[in-house]
Amino acid sequence: MTWLVWRQHRVQYLVGAALLAAFAVMIVVTGTQVSDQFHSAQAACAAGQPCQHLGGLFMGSRVVGFLVIATLGTPVLVGLFWGAPLVAAEAEAGTTQFAWMQSVTRKRWLAVKIGWMLLAAVIWGGVISALVTWWASPTNAEQLNQFDPGRFDIMGIVPVGYSVFAVALGVTAGALLRRTLPALAVTLAGFIAARVVITLWLRSHYISAVTTTYNVLGNFTPKGAYWQFASGVLGPNGQQLPQPNNTQYFDNIPQAYLPRACSEVTGPNGGNPTPACVQALSHFHAYLTYQPGDRFWAFQGIETAIFVVLAAALIAVTAVTLLRRDA
Amino acid sequence: MTWLVWRQYRLQFVLGAALLAAFAVLIVITGVQAANQWHAAQAACAASHGCQNLFLGSHAVGFLVISTLGAPVLVGLFWGAPLVAAESEVGTTHFAWMQSVTRKRWLAVKVGWMLLAAVVWGGVITALVTWWEGPNNAQQLDAFNTGRFDITGIVPVAYSVFALALGIAAGALLRRVLPAMAVTLAGFIVVRGVIAFWLRHHYLSPVTVYHSVIRSFTPPGSYWSLASGVLFPNGQPIDQNTNGNVLDGVPVNYLPASCNQVSRGAFTPPPSCTQALAHFRGFLTYQPADRFWTFQGIETGIFLFLAAVLIAVTAVTLLRRDA
Amino acid sequence: MTLVIETSGLTKRYRKVTALNDCTITVPEGRISALIGPNGAGKTTLLRLLAGLSRPTAGQLSVNGGTPRQDPAFLADIGYLGQEIPLYRRLSAEDHIRAGAHLNPRWDSALVRERLTGLKIPRDRAVGKLSGGQRAQVALALVLAKQPRLLLLDEPVAALDPLARRNFLGVLADAVALGNLTVVMSSHLIADLERVCDHLIMVASSRVQLCGDIEELLDEHRVLTGPSKDITAIERSQRVVQATRTPRQTTLLVRLNGPVIDPAFQVSEVSLEELALAYLGEEVPPASAPARLTPVTPGGTTPPYPPEPSAVFGDDR
Repeated sequence: MTWLVWRQHRVQYLVGAALLAAFAVMIVVTGTQVSDQFHSAQAACAAGQPCQHLGGLFMGSRVVGFLVIATLGTPVLVGLFWGAPLVAAEAEAGTTQFAWMQSVTRKRWLAVKIGWMLLAAVIWGGVISALVTWWASPTNAEQLNQFDPGRFDIMGIVPVGYSVFAVALGVTAGALLRRTLPALAVTLAGFIAARVVITLWLRSHYISAVTTTYNVLGNFTPKGAYWQFASGVLGPNGQQLPQPNNTQYFDNIPQAYLPRACSEVTGPNGGNPTPACVQALSHFHAYLTYQPGDRFWAFQGIETAIFVVLAAALIAVTAVTLLRRDA
Repeated sequence: MTWLVWRQYRLQFVLGAALLAAFAVLIVITGVQAANQWHAAQAACAASHGCQNLFLGSHAVGFLVISTLGAPVLVGLFWGAPLVAAESEVGTTHFAWMQSVTRKRWLAVKVGWMLLAAVVWGGVITALVTWWEGPNNAQQLDAFNTGRFDITGIVPVAYSVFALALGIAAGALLRRVLPAMAVTLAGFIVVRGVIAFWLRHHYLSPVTVYHSVIRSFTPPGSYWSLASGVLFPNGQPIDQNTNGNVLDGVPVNYLPASCNQVSRGAFTPPPSCTQALAHFRGFLTYQPADRFWTFQGIETGIFLFLAAVLIAVTAVTLLRRDA
Repeated sequence: MTLVIETSGLTKRYRKVTALNDCTITVPEGRISALIGPNGAGKTTLLRLLAGLSRPTAGQLSVNGGTPRQDPAFLADIGYLGQEIPLYRRLSAEDHIRAGAHLNPRWDSALVRERLTGLKIPRDRAVGKLSGGQRAQVALALVLAKQPRLLLLDEPVAALDPLARRNFLGVLADAVALGNLTVVMSSHLIADLERVCDHLIMVASSRVQLCGDIEELLDEHRVLTGPSKDITAIERSQRVVQATRTPRQTTLLVRLNGPVIDPAFQVSEVSLEELALAYLGEEVPPASAPARLTPVTPGGTTPPYPPEPSAVFGDDR
């Protein structure tokens, strides 16, 4: 059965391996350059030269940077080209009949085919994610933004979860619809919908966010790569002050709400506040709602688990469908 | 023949129309909100001379708008690649070609309607997106930047037509749907990447303006910044990535000691410092905003030309080949 | 005598369409059974139910001593070949042979290779690039290589030329003669079936019309030819399957319920084709019954065509 799976799908696996190899070469070559740049900048900084904020460092070529962002889409590719045709193409061509009339049960046929495909999906997602995470590590160390949506999705272990989910979705769509093109469309739409819903709505609730309040005159930046949800200022009676968009403000407090003691203070950072102003401002509280950086891996684990569970459910649906249905 | 095309592809056309309709509803609703927000903010902003950056529109819809970068390739994958390939795989080309219709006519009618559908697809999406982006563009003036240029104006129509033609050609040459789709996807990404990241810079020679480092230079409108920096007196560009303190883009080790007291913005530099700074020049290489539509036209022309070539290849392949 | 196939009240419904209705048949071991019937009668449905590819809506069936189920041992004993010849179009015959070797406990690769070489069919070319007949040959060779106990074939020789047909049927007969093989094959070409089959299942309008050994069935039926007259007496004493009346003559095909006493009617034996056509509703042409073991009708009219020697049952067995 394994021989048959290889013989049937070897072109797909070879193309996938070739793409991974090409991607790896590009990433490793540019990534080493980026890493060197970063390390020499860091060394100069440590050697006593005044450190420039390395965020301005142009890290990596623009094309590779674009390609790295584009790995947001690589999980769905295996769903489309490996998952959807797995059962659908055979159903369309009628060759399931050939396989199922050999002395191999449908259960075994399905298990071996899906098993190898899932393994291939894990390798696909894992290799790409490993390369991207390594490539982005200087940028991550510098900009501390790996928890943000968009970057979170292309690093760590979640791409493996996405790839496995995409393949499972493709296989299920193919098994239910029995035609390759509709299965492809459903896989694409379903993957995008699931990812969007989970990223934009579910992810922020995995663990309750932390809210820290601090003095408006002070500054608070959490350690590490935290994920910011909201920030703002609370007035003396605890009411939420509006964001100072276009009006004058001081320390993020719109002019309209400033205590009288601070009326001479104008502009974002203009002048030094008088002691009376400082005293009045102590009744204001700034707040920051965020996910601490040390929760990054917990969130990665939770999101991967969600997608793996979804994948398992889909495969169960496929199994029930194929094992019950007439050939 | 037209009836046959409709009967074969009506599901795809209906689905496409449904997607467009859903997208349109979403865009119009959030776009109207964003426009209101912007007008209100503009009024307040103008009144107090301090416009800040606004984010207009919900994050989710903003994401959807960016992702319309991928909308053109969808017609290539789902309408283009199967057009000939699916029939080749199943053998129904024989059915059509053994009716009293020439292959030329069969191809012309099928491709013709599909192209029209691609134009409608690309056109509706870009019209919606361009309208939705109106406030943001007026605010950020980034319509000419790579990424935003690609989703507004008329180029998305050309991308859709190109993707469709690429899909059809791949399907005609490879005769199998899945490989044709893979080739279409890869080919579209490569061509778009090459043109957006390299070719587009050279449609018209960019303009370079030199200015004093003390005063920054911002061209009017939505210009496209290609490169900027500071030059040494001898004309060499200063490496922007080196460490060390800079004043107006010039590393302080090249400036007299009098410049060291200067902190950003609050103090005027002493005359000796100003004099030293005068030897340095800032430069900005850019495409002026009034070239936006010229660039849109050139890029549209390129993609339409590529599409025409691909359709010619398809025609030659199909009309010459044994059935 | 062991029954390889035994069904009782087997029914298959697809939403509103009843493809097979209340089918009760038996097939003893070692038979080559002909499954005949018009298009859409339910032959393919029956074969798929027997193979375990479909599940029945109602009724019981026993194949090789058990219900069709997902069990490697059960699957190994059944060979099934569908009408549409489901092979992987992009894989070669050699690939299929290797696949079969991996997927079956008993597999005779040498047999397939020998057979394909003998038929001059290239083993390394993608099966999709072979002609329809060649594809059919590959599929047949593969299904034989599996060495099953029961072979279910849906129109297996439809794509073959006459010589190839005869050759294949000969191979089948030999394999059955070696023992341990039972065959059920559907076909429209009754002349071919007559050559090798000794059992008959006739299906029409989703129902089983006849099921049994061909010799016995033919023995139970007679063609009665006689003057045009009232046949109610005959209808009462025998089971009339089909009656054809012209102004001068009445021809009846009856299933015997006892000896025919009416002297006005000539009694002659029935051929498989006549039997089939009668049950399937076609008109039996009056003068087409070739006399076999009974004398020529008085008046000296000879049958329109001479009977073929090998068509006389009993010679080839």
